[in-house]
Amino acid sequence: MLGIIKRDLMLLFCNKRDGFFMLFYIPFLILIIDSYDPKWLYLAIIVAYTYIISITSFYYDIDGKGRYIINSLPINGEAIVFYKYLSTFVYFIMTIVYAGVYLWIINWTGLKAVDYFNMEMVIKAIPIIMFATSIVFPAYFYFEPRIARLVHMVVFIGFFIGMANLGALGDKSLVKKIGLFQGKNMVFVPIIMFIASLLLSMKLYQSRDL
Amino acid sequence: MDYILEIKNLRKEFKNFTLDDISFKLEPGYIMGFIGPNGAGKSTTIKLIMNLLKKNGGEIKVFGKDHIKYEKEIKDRIGFVYDENYYYEDLTINQMKNIVASFYSKWDEHQFNYYIHEFGLNPKVKIKTLSKGMKMKFSLGIALSHHADLIIMDEPTSGLDPVFRREILDILYNIIQDDSKSIFFSTHITTDLEKIADYITFINDGKIIFSKPKDEVMESYAIVKGGTELLNKDSRKEFIGLRETKVGFEGLTDNIDGMKRTFGNNILIEKATLEDIMVYSVRR
Repeated sequence: MLGIIKRDLMLLFCNKRDGFFMLFYIPFLILIIDSYDPKWLYLAIIVAYTYIISITSFYYDIDGKGRYIINSLPINGEAIVFYKYLSTFVYFIMTIVYAGVYLWIINWTGLKAVDYFNMEMVIKAIPIIMFATSIVFPAYFYFEPRIARLVHMVVFIGFFIGMANLGALGDKSLVKKIGLFQGKNMVFVPIIMFIASLLLSMKLYQSRDL
Repeated sequence: MDYILEIKNLRKEFKNFTLDDISFKLEPGYIMGFIGPNGAGKSTTIKLIMNLLKKNGGEIKVFGKDHIKYEKEIKDRIGFVYDENYYYEDLTINQMKNIVASFYSKWDEHQFNYYIHEFGLNPKVKIKTLSKGMKMKFSLGIALSHHADLIIMDEPTSGLDPVFRREILDILYNIIQDDSKSIFFSTHITTDLEKIADYITFINDGKIIFSKPKDEVMESYAIVKGGTELLNKDSRKEFIGLRETKVGFEGLTDNIDGMKRTFGNNILIEKATLEDIMVYSVRR
């Protein structure tokens, strides 16, 4: 698993464009997400960052054929898929630390009043991340890059529309009214989806030609 | 007998191409050259061995074990070099090495540094800035730095200058001085194989034409040259492949005695090269 995480993190900062993106993505989100309550901004940042870190390596593996190398190393397909899903939680913890420091500095300098840690939002972020990766990961593990990217775009844009809705209207928002991640649903729906997605990805990945 | 690599009735179907029940075996301590024209199925076979493609039928055993059931264990003992660079181009040599090294149980940092120095590679440069030859050297450095027992190489010498090609062949020759190690080496530069291969497996259009010791191959084929007036409908059929020009003919045969009987002293018989064997067999 260490090898997979090491690979993902190196790829995040391996070229100037990606490095620049990772460095300035937080101020960018602060600029574009208009929220009456800073907690929604914090939620958007930790979800978006974790998600981006999790899927970046797919670009290199699918488009750049790096998958030939990873799959030629002493690791089997099931383990590649399993570690990829598991690493999402590692990236989530890393994001909390990275975003926490970044947002604390922004807060300290007085540029904008933002949350740099909010336990309520951390708990809310977990099911959202699980939900998003449950949809996007199988697409990347099985489909052509074009289709996988389309699925990613739909999920990513859907997330931002949801966040904008939540940030602007709070409890009156459509997201709240649907109530997908509230109460018991908040625990069971993402867990079931995540496990089903993991098993599906394992099966799909084992059956496809690279 | 324990084979280091054993392929039995391997089958893979694509829309426009089928790898058709291919079989061959490689013993420890030998180099097998895997030859064939472009599109014959060499890379497909290698990708099947490495489980990058899923087979439709047949059996692949590496170190006597099923290549899927014992995938991790087997790949820990395989060094691979592919025909093009699949390493992450935006990473430096050192970064890529750090990723790869963490997967191998017997990674040898000292050995890697030795090859990097020997090949004149700067570990701090990005892979995308390397020339094709340098990228191949890097791949080879990685493949040779974890004490692999089987080195699988897909066209490692194509596009390389003769000096570096010779360097690679010398390295490979040194590797098999250890009797437990083997090399499976696909190429269409057959002169490389004439220097170092012990076995030749020839594939064409998804089918194995032969898989034999190199010396047996070199002895059993010959090039026959003569005037076109010697040829008729029946004698033409005796050649595996035939090329006719205004000044005469040149053909490949695996029936040297038969040729002597048919044409007597009117023909010239020369030793066939692997390239002759490949070219004439494909033209047949």
